[in-house]
Amino acid sequence: MTLPGSLFVIGLPIALAGVLMLLRRWTALMAWSAAAAMSFLGVLVTTATLNVAYPIGPLNLYLGRPFYLLGRVLVIEPADRLPLAFIYFTAAGLFVIAWRLLPHSNFFPIGLVMVALLGAVLMVHQVVYAALLVEMAAILAVFPLHESGGRAHGGLRYIAYVTLALPGLMITQLLLELFAIFPADMGLLQTSTVLLGISFAILLGAVPFQSWLSTVATDGSPPVVTFLFTVHLGTVWFMLLAYLQSYAWLGRQPLFEPLFTALGLLMMIVGGALAASQRRMGRLVGYAILVDNGAMFVALGTRQTAGLALTLMMLLARPVALGLMTIGLDGLRQLGGGDDSATAMQGMAWSAPWRTVAFLVGGVAMAGFPLSLGFAARWGLYRLMARQDLFQALLALSGSAGVMMGLVGVIRTLLVPASTDAKPRAPLAEDPVVLVLIIVLIGATLALGLFPQGASRVALEMAESFTFFAP
Amino acid sequence: MNPVILWLNRLAAFASTPAVVGIFLSGAAIYLIAEWRIRFLAQIAQYFFIGILFARIFDTRLELALLKIMVGWLISGAFLISAMNRDESVRGQGLQMQWSSNVPFRILSLLTMTVVALLGAQRYVLPFIPADLALACYLLVVLALLFIGTEEEHPVLGGVGILNLLAALDLFYSAQDPGLLITGMLVIVNLLVGLAISYITVAEVAE
Repeated sequence: MTLPGSLFVIGLPIALAGVLMLLRRWTALMAWSAAAAMSFLGVLVTTATLNVAYPIGPLNLYLGRPFYLLGRVLVIEPADRLPLAFIYFTAAGLFVIAWRLLPHSNFFPIGLVMVALLGAVLMVHQVVYAALLVEMAAILAVFPLHESGGRAHGGLRYIAYVTLALPGLMITQLLLELFAIFPADMGLLQTSTVLLGISFAILLGAVPFQSWLSTVATDGSPPVVTFLFTVHLGTVWFMLLAYLQSYAWLGRQPLFEPLFTALGLLMMIVGGALAASQRRMGRLVGYAILVDNGAMFVALGTRQTAGLALTLMMLLARPVALGLMTIGLDGLRQLGGGDDSATAMQGMAWSAPWRTVAFLVGGVAMAGFPLSLGFAARWGLYRLMARQDLFQALLALSGSAGVMMGLVGVIRTLLVPASTDAKPRAPLAEDPVVLVLIIVLIGATLALGLFPQGASRVALEMAESFTFFAP
Repeated sequence: MNPVILWLNRLAAFASTPAVVGIFLSGAAIYLIAEWRIRFLAQIAQYFFIGILFARIFDTRLELALLKIMVGWLISGAFLISAMNRDESVRGQGLQMQWSSNVPFRILSLLTMTVVALLGAQRYVLPFIPADLALACYLLVVLALLFIGTEEEHPVLGGVGILNLLAALDLFYSAQDPGLLITGMLVIVNLLVGLAISYITVAEVAE
């Protein structure tokens, strides 16, 4: 009997999630089995041949064989392999990080279901189903995001924004079907371009739809926020690239280049300006993501394969940088009683030095400063932009500098010596496993910063599978 | 045929325009009245009217329209329980008429947005959909924007807004493509939204 690959990679995480729901008492078991399953799927989609049968008991697994559901097709294509591997490996890493940060959490089972849904987004062809799957994954994220209580506006705002993006994506599908019947009606194409553009702008938190980024980062549990900003947003980016690939006319529109560049620069400038004056750590994470997404838009706006490779390299750099920031933010917030405002964070560096270092190194990497993979990607972007317009390159650089200024401000707050009359604060009892994770991630950040060739090769290989910029 | 479905079919044949008015009035009640038990009744009524419109779309499969109503009522019940759970002070009290804060401003915004919906339905005609259904879509969208944009202590009102937006999209999309898979997925999305909003309403610790 034949088992289609798409069904296997969707079914395995969902089945495991069902089991893990019953095992929430054992956090280590949940975290490691979820991470192992994700790593296995990552290795499988990266290394296995698509049209070869792999026997699993009585079943023969064909990775590239399509799965049909009520006439709709789900299939793993060669171009989907690296994007799928990205979401699986990132999820695996985040499950390991969450092992010590989120005891007994529903993040592990729900995260697995989210990965299954987001994997399906990459394997399904019609916009409408992909949009609904992204919406479902976003709604599910709310459960672990606000598991620890506290203010929950972030989750509500996130669902609201993703739902606002849904009509544009669904109606685009209808318009494209109509265009197939009436190919002379160019108005249909123009309307679908506008709708698709607005929907992706909302999903990726582009200006003026950026408010959900900072609210989610402020209110949400840090590891889940990182999951959203890497796995979920990463899938949305790959979805955008898949549409540019499927509907090549989108990329050929004369407005494509100025629109993407202007939008990206606006995001970088606004994000940088907001980050520079920000002293709240959660919000700073949100604005750093806004700047990073802006840089990715700018890179895509260059309309070159090199620009596309830089976009993907920034996406690859994000999990390590954000993972470090997450660990730092989680510990510091814990010390501040859930509050990460400047008042609560004063002098925290003396009580939690390792978490402060983690936040600092992760923040520097997110801002795109050396030594990090983010720096290599941003430097490549500035060089590419400077060849066409030096002023635009300087504007982009100012966005990154804004994040760095915000980070310096936060670190100054963390380093303020406690006043003599203040009640002495007990230092954070550091978990040795978390300490090891911090050291490993700092090592990975520095190694990727010093030797970015491996990551850039992967990014280039991914970029070459998208041919919409080819002459 | 099931008598409930038969009755729904008869109702849909002549009550579409009153159903659109009903959607607006029930939405206005949710917006202007703060008492959750009254909001619950208004939401129940709103889903009934939305169901009548769905009965026109799914005229050969009326059980789907019935499903939409049942799902809506289920979510309304979950919202009521969550809201009551959060406001422990109202337990055991009788039903009291309590207006929302800033009622004059809310009335003004509601009127303005209603005019926007009416003009939108006239000027930007939605393709391949009857005029009354199009007006219902516009009204649901403006109600959704009002609910989402209103800063209330409870996340539930925002949740009702998200559901109204989904209902508008569902009406419009189902009129074009009444496929079983899309209908099923939208039902799941509605249920998940209901569950998530109820969860955060209960989990959130008011600051």
